[in-house]
Amino acid sequence: MAQRRRKGRRGSKTDQEFVSEAEEILDRMRQDLADLNEERVAGDDVDPEVVNRLFRSAHSLKGLAGLFGFDPIQDLAHRVEDILDGLRLGRVRLELSVVSLIDESVHLFASLLEQIGNPDALAAAIEPIGQLAERIQAARAAPAAESEFGDLALDPSLLRALTEYEEHRLRENIRRGRHICLIDATFEIISFEEGLSRLTAAIREVGEVLSTLPAPGEAPEAQIRFSLLVASDAPASEVVSRLGLPAGAVRLVRAGAAAGAAPAAKAPAAPGALAPPGPAAESDEEATVAHRDASEGGEPESLKSISDTVRVDIHKLDELMNLVGELVIQRGAIGELVSRLSADAATARIGSDFAKVHKALDRKLRELQSAVLDVRMVPLSQVFEKVSRVVRRLRTDLGKDVRLELRGADTELDKLIVEELVDPLMHVVRNALDHAIEPREERIAGGKDPEGRIRIEAFQRGNHVVIAVSDDGRGIDTANLRSLAESKGILQPGETLSEREALDLIFMPGISTRSEVTETSGRGVGMDVVHTNLTALGGVVDVESTPGRGTTIAMTLPITLAIIQSLIVVVARQRFAIPLNAVHETLLIAGAEIQRSEGRELLNLRGEALPLLRLAAEFNLPASPPDAKCYVVVIGLGETRMGLLVDRLDGQQDTVIKPIQGPIPAVRGIAGATELGDQDPVLVLDVSALLAETGRRRDAS
Amino acid sequence: MSSSQSESGAAAPRWQDLARRAAERRNAEVESVAVRQLLTFVLDGSPYAVPVERVREIVRVRPITPVPRLPGDVCGVISLRGEILEVIDLRLRLRLHAGPSGRASRIIVVHAADGGVAGLLVDGVTEVLPVPEDALRPAAAAETGNVETLCVRGDRFISLIDLERVLRFDAQH
Amino acid sequence: MQRILIVEDSPTMRALLVSALEALDRPVKITEVASGFEALRELPRVAYDLILTDINMPDINGLELVSFVKNNAAFRSIPLVIVSTEGSERDRDKGLRLGADAYLVKPFVPETLQQIAHDLLDRSGRRG
Repeated sequence: MAQRRRKGRRGSKTDQEFVSEAEEILDRMRQDLADLNEERVAGDDVDPEVVNRLFRSAHSLKGLAGLFGFDPIQDLAHRVEDILDGLRLGRVRLELSVVSLIDESVHLFASLLEQIGNPDALAAAIEPIGQLAERIQAARAAPAAESEFGDLALDPSLLRALTEYEEHRLRENIRRGRHICLIDATFEIISFEEGLSRLTAAIREVGEVLSTLPAPGEAPEAQIRFSLLVASDAPASEVVSRLGLPAGAVRLVRAGAAAGAAPAAKAPAAPGALAPPGPAAESDEEATVAHRDASEGGEPESLKSISDTVRVDIHKLDELMNLVGELVIQRGAIGELVSRLSADAATARIGSDFAKVHKALDRKLRELQSAVLDVRMVPLSQVFEKVSRVVRRLRTDLGKDVRLELRGADTELDKLIVEELVDPLMHVVRNALDHAIEPREERIAGGKDPEGRIRIEAFQRGNHVVIAVSDDGRGIDTANLRSLAESKGILQPGETLSEREALDLIFMPGISTRSEVTETSGRGVGMDVVHTNLTALGGVVDVESTPGRGTTIAMTLPITLAIIQSLIVVVARQRFAIPLNAVHETLLIAGAEIQRSEGRELLNLRGEALPLLRLAAEFNLPASPPDAKCYVVVIGLGETRMGLLVDRLDGQQDTVIKPIQGPIPAVRGIAGATELGDQDPVLVLDVSALLAETGRRRDAS
Repeated sequence: MSSSQSESGAAAPRWQDLARRAAERRNAEVESVAVRQLLTFVLDGSPYAVPVERVREIVRVRPITPVPRLPGDVCGVISLRGEILEVIDLRLRLRLHAGPSGRASRIIVVHAADGGVAGLLVDGVTEVLPVPEDALRPAAAAETGNVETLCVRGDRFISLIDLERVLRFDAQH
Repeated sequence: MQRILIVEDSPTMRALLVSALEALDRPVKITEVASGFEALRELPRVAYDLILTDINMPDINGLELVSFVKNNAAFRSIPLVIVSTEGSERDRDKGLRLGADAYLVKPFVPETLQQIAHDLLDRSGRRG
């Protein structure tokens, strides 16, 4: 099933999303700009990270504006980005004029964001934007004069390999009177990255790494030497002791004016146990500074470069999952081989030994599977934080008095699901704030607490997690819903609906319970999107409401996009996967056993008439001869059963169902795709859709 | 006879990539005429282009699984680092002659305006071309409408594709 | 069969470089890495006939890689092309002074890259 609003990296695109993202960027910029200005005023060192952050913010804003086609904003952001780049490279001096230009730009952005829905206002802003952009352009100062590095006790080869940006950083640090030193460390070629990262992290506690120059080690095939150019307020001797390196590894290149002004040093770790650079194994040990010092009980805090938690890119987790999936497939293949070995008398002996090993491997693999799945679990707290922020802002914007209660922030879900959850949850909460909670006066008039209450509660229920959003607002007016549905032709006049079904009407596309479109709720439609999004994750949405008292929307999600077992079938030489939990049994039948009745095909299954569906015909694939033997996969959910006709069965596999991304809206009958070890995606059938289709056809005939 | 040993690394975040290019931009250029960066590629022997900001990555052609009930100009889906993406046969989509995929064929993974991603199957990718805005001309009315503008490079016209149009499939089935 | 190593952290740029090089009318095997670190690990593995490296990369930048290669008896004879961006002439000059054999300016024209690669691969081939 394909998603129209699939996120590549961002959420569903509405102007509102643009505004909230842009606002976050501007918030950061304001903060960073304030920091920058303080430093400037105090004559302090300008933190290059702050300038870098500002630069990246301006750049993100430019990209965001470009994506949405807000050209004037993009253009201004581009100018701001340029001047920040100049600042970063030392081409532009940090003066009040520069700071105030950037500040003006941020203000202008903010006011433009408020006018987003108003194209006239945007058009009117083009001129002031253009003028500001020109002033920024004019403010770019001439490049700063260069200084020579001749007085540095540095190998010229190192100076030759510095890029412009690195030269600038070096110049800056010299100007600030920092000590410049050179640290040499040798590592094994196979594993240098880890050791080097630890070393650089440790160095960053005491200074700035300006440049990293690799050179052949003593044994060039196996070793690699790195010369790190470091700037620090601490003199070289202190750097030596704090990093626990041998004295020869750190060489002062240029003494600075600062005399040991580094952050308060604890008693240096005894370097006695350190051996001079020698055989490869030992030099690797030296480089793992943190490890050594921790074991000596040295200064754990300043050298602790490895923290307890690790931030992991979700794509890496996905790769891990994929690898585990592939391992699982190979395990299956090995199982096959073991069976064959055991079956043949000549190899039975080795087959049985093999089987023992395979069993152990299997056990470990399952443990690995659990462990990886475990890593993907994250608590809902991050989502809750984001929701809180939005609610805080919205309730001011909407002028409503609302209290937000959050329960169950510790509840854990698969990280991917949590990421997908943010949009639907945000939408439901916005709806509650916007539509459900009445304005103060109305609440008082109705005898309610003037402060409205929205409560988000998350808890685990078996294999699922439930996230319920309740409010004590107006409740849903089903009569209103019904008449709306009728006016849109979704409902025939006079058609009866139970209360439950009436409430479910809010999930129909095109239904809005307010005649005006409000910006905060993204134009009043969207519960259908929530429904679609949740269904794609394998979840369901339920609504309960009492008019005048409140509404509860409960989202139930599976805990993890877990590895589920699927039956692989072959139709017209193409493989498909059917989730095993929907498969009741499989049969091999002869073509003659298929009976026909009223244009449909049926099978007599133990006295019951089982409707059949030919997948080949269904999917417009080449059909096999009608008399041939074929397999029937009996699928069913609840009471409904159906038999799928396929050419061949291809075993069972562990699969992870992935949604199909792309511009085509959902393909009926396909739930997603999975990879089975090779790069060829295999489509996963949507059993409930196929069942519903047969049902529809039955009713129609 | 050539092959790549590794298509290494996860795709760098788009913003990082663009940030670096922004840092590399010349000053003088910014003052005069706005310049667009276009990724040019080949379809049925002719040059086409898409804005480079819309390009997430370019990958080799890999097994494409056909998906039933999709419009004819969608080849199917591919698997890319765990994601399943739809791939559009751009030749068919632009009503050019269908053709077999060659060694130089590639799939360009693009971002749609709404954040979605899709793959475009093309015969080969060429280069990133900086094009000044004034070199863009609207396409003739007779075009299919998938080509937004033409840009002039020397004596050649490069068709700049209207990505929104190409990626819009109204629900017909 | 000659081997080319591409060091470039932008996947799109990498793909373009590979594409241009594959269109060369000679048998080549291309390896791509996304960082200077990976290049350092890759170089000792197999004998390369040509190296292409970007200059602006995180961790080890292209200039540092050039310096490493040219200071290393095992690799110093491998022709090396630096890929720089417009506006970074100083970085480019440094790369050449460090011993790079040619440079390419981004965004690049495929024919230029192919010409450079062709000449350098010939040179590499003659050396044997």
